[in-house]
Amino acid sequence: MASESVEGKDLYPLALLMDELKHDDIANRVEAMKKLDTIATALGPQRTRDELIPFLMEVAQDDEDEVFAVLADELGQFVPYVGGPEFATVLLPPLEILASTEETLVRDKAVGSLNKIAEQLSQEQLFHDFIPLIEHLATADWFSSKVSSCGLFKSVIPRVKDDGLRKELLALYLQMVQDETPMVRRTAAKNLPALIDLLTENPELSTNEDWDYISNMFQKIINDSQDSVKYLTVNCLISILKFFNTKGDHSHSKDLLDSATKLIGDEAWRVRYMAADKFEELAAQFSDNEAYMAELIQPFLNLCEDNESDVRKAIAKQVAGFAKLLQDPSDVLTKVLPAVQSLSMDESEAVRASLALTVTNLVTLMSKEEAIDHLLPILLNMLKDEFPDVRLNIIANLKAVNDVIGIDLLSESLLPAITELAKDVNWRVRMAIIDYIPILAEQLGVQFFDQQLSDLCLSWLWDTVFSIREAAVNNLKKLTEIFGSDWCRDEIIAKLLKFDSQLLENFVYRFTLLSALTELVPVISLTVVANQILPFISHLADDGVPNIRFNVAKSYAVIVESLIKGGAHYIDTINGTILPSLKKLTQDEDFDVKYFAKQSLNQCNELLK
Amino acid sequence: MDLDLDVPMHDAIEDQPVTQDEDKNSGNENELTATTTSVDEDEEKDDFKPGSSGIADHKSAKPLELNNSNINQLDQWIDYLGKCQILSEDDVARLCKMAVDVLQFEENVKPINVPVTICGDVHGQFHDLMELFRIGGPCPDTNYLFMGDYVDRGYYSVETVSYLVAMKVRYPHRITILRGNHESRQITQVYGFYDECLRKYGSASVWKMFTDLFDYFPITALVDNKVFCLHGGLSPMIETIDQVRELNRIQEVPHEGPMCDLLWSDPDDRGGWGISPRGAGFTFGQDISEQFNHTNDLSLIARAHQLVMEGYAWSHQQNVVTIFSAPNYCYRCGNQAAIMEVDENHNRQFLQYDPSIRPGEPTVSRKTPDYFL
Repeated sequence: MASESVEGKDLYPLALLMDELKHDDIANRVEAMKKLDTIATALGPQRTRDELIPFLMEVAQDDEDEVFAVLADELGQFVPYVGGPEFATVLLPPLEILASTEETLVRDKAVGSLNKIAEQLSQEQLFHDFIPLIEHLATADWFSSKVSSCGLFKSVIPRVKDDGLRKELLALYLQMVQDETPMVRRTAAKNLPALIDLLTENPELSTNEDWDYISNMFQKIINDSQDSVKYLTVNCLISILKFFNTKGDHSHSKDLLDSATKLIGDEAWRVRYMAADKFEELAAQFSDNEAYMAELIQPFLNLCEDNESDVRKAIAKQVAGFAKLLQDPSDVLTKVLPAVQSLSMDESEAVRASLALTVTNLVTLMSKEEAIDHLLPILLNMLKDEFPDVRLNIIANLKAVNDVIGIDLLSESLLPAITELAKDVNWRVRMAIIDYIPILAEQLGVQFFDQQLSDLCLSWLWDTVFSIREAAVNNLKKLTEIFGSDWCRDEIIAKLLKFDSQLLENFVYRFTLLSALTELVPVISLTVVANQILPFISHLADDGVPNIRFNVAKSYAVIVESLIKGGAHYIDTINGTILPSLKKLTQDEDFDVKYFAKQSLNQCNELLK
Repeated sequence: MDLDLDVPMHDAIEDQPVTQDEDKNSGNENELTATTTSVDEDEEKDDFKPGSSGIADHKSAKPLELNNSNINQLDQWIDYLGKCQILSEDDVARLCKMAVDVLQFEENVKPINVPVTICGDVHGQFHDLMELFRIGGPCPDTNYLFMGDYVDRGYYSVETVSYLVAMKVRYPHRITILRGNHESRQITQVYGFYDECLRKYGSASVWKMFTDLFDYFPITALVDNKVFCLHGGLSPMIETIDQVRELNRIQEVPHEGPMCDLLWSDPDDRGGWGISPRGAGFTFGQDISEQFNHTNDLSLIARAHQLVMEGYAWSHQQNVVTIFSAPNYCYRCGNQAAIMEVDENHNRQFLQYDPSIRPGEPTVSRKTPDYFL
């Protein structure tokens, strides 16, 4: 940037910028605006304040939204260019204009930049310039300015130590909460939790009078006629509860619990959805009072039976989290589990899939016997679900169940579930189950695996989709890392080398076999590499398909890299078998075979040095 | 199945003059006036003349020789393009020059060995092209034959065609790219590639380079003397494959004649030759396909050019197959895509696939270009 400013000394950077900003093509104007910081550096702080900012004031009133958006963003980092925090207030007027535009994107960027600048302002500047700016915006005629003002209070509230002034600001915010346009009320409701959280962080700051205002705002929002405003109450309620819990003040708990149950039972499904989606967090605020927790059980069960599937989907994910908060373990068995039972058979597949994500965690809340008697039947049923995502989600989260009751009891249903998924028509489902195989292998142990799963793992190698074959190859490598080299030799390599020659008439399968053996080289004993894998690969060096031949050339480098670890023992094999074959491939008729053979030969020679 | 969204060529050009949209660049006024007037051959501006990009000004007398330095360069480009990022304008120029020296030496009827995987239209759906390679296997491990229509309609024509051309130059024996009716100066001005180049590079020069390069693409391929592959279909002026070999293909796709037909024709249920509703090429019946296959000792004609809901479709009692490799064509047709694997024993297998899982569609701040609607 320094060099640019030297070059630009005689170029009147401002004039240049003005020219570019008058360009017909909006893309050029956007690009010019992105270079604003360079221009400001060239001009220096004084001229930036005196010339550039007034010019930008004009631009901010006469261009397209795309240009405004960039300008709003740029100004947020402009404090150093105008000469530091003491001059930062000159940036407020252009941003105030941008914060009043109709385009949401521009306003959001302007608000973001204003908040960034506010951090750097002194107390004096804050009172003298920033708070009046908020007041302007909040009392403007048009809704867009008021919407923007809602996002600015959070920069100010924690810094106002004067109770009177803070009360005035909260009174202003209350006006936003009861504005006539829903857009303003919605933004006010959305920003309120952040304000409350700031008061929680600074407990010495707020007076009871402040809380009268907040309570008033809460009442306004919870009784709003618009669902799109009302559903934001859930977050406000959580923030308010957190404040009083932090303070240790439980005098309002009963009222707030009533508000919670009111929201949970609201007639608008969006409100119930929000309550369901936040249920664990909401319930956690009452967790030290057993009676209150008991009162939340029925509302919870109502949500589980809600008419809207989206609500059930949201609450299904919260089941285990909520159950963990219940102090009486019998509640889990007698009340939560029946609800889980019916969710597990819900008519909507999305609800069942959502339940499957966390339901296995319930196992930690009960004894082994209880889990076997009550939870296991549900899980087994879900493993047979017709929707693949339900089965996949259960399988992905089996670890907890395995820890408590062991995998044996599950295996009878687990195997058919895996086999079904392994045959799914959607290849991404097949892919997902392959990814879980190594995890299952570790849990099931080698004996069980060999009996039930090893053939399945080999069958994926002959899938029609390349990515499945590739995943199958990687899976074999991971299994070898788990079960060891001897296992791989007996269970995998022996079977691979005996494969039906008819299948291998198709080059796709010769290619897959070649990749599988090559992939196993680094994780298997050198004897197997030299005596079993190498002969097979060498015989593919004369394959009729060039694609096979150049992959043989690539494999040779991998084999040499492994054999070399065996020291002098395998040098004869390398010099006697591999290098001559590779040299022959470098004279191949096909360009790509020659190229990859030469690459591979160079690699081998490097390794042998 | 015969649902195709192409507007007949002449109609498209006369009824739908390219409007001067928000991507205009006043630095290139000539080109812009050229796009606003209807592109009539007589009035064509200098800049739109074939060859004006200069990529073919210094053609080599022998095929491009790959050495370590250009292989490294190409591998770098392929790596970059594989992430759906565009090359710089200078790199596109370099790539196209190299591609001319590969493609000019290919025959009109490119002979191809088995095994090979045959693919249809891609139309700038870059992520679905990557899905295609996930299904069929990566190139060069798998050999590919693409039957044209890499550009237009999708969001990523530049990335798609750059990627395929870079692969072609890097692995000339592993991948073949034929010309489709959209690999043309006229069609790309209407269906999106021209506008996309303007938007992504700020000028038409990349479009000029690629369209100049398209003139060198081979127009047909012959897999082991048995499967005749081309974008559109047959022509009443072509009875034998040798007649295709005699054409002069290094030119803009003409409005009529054998070369035009090969890129534009469609098979039809009615026998004989028919007038194509597209305004270019012909429709041809089963009698024509059978005769052509008999005369030339072929087992199959493989072609693309038409949207088919299953990704592939047989016609003319398995004398002709249509392959279409753009799933959910134009991001809204709901069709599957397919590719056809032919192994070394001439066994054929069709692999169907759905759109790739996309990391969120690009956010379009301005209005959707007309060619999507």
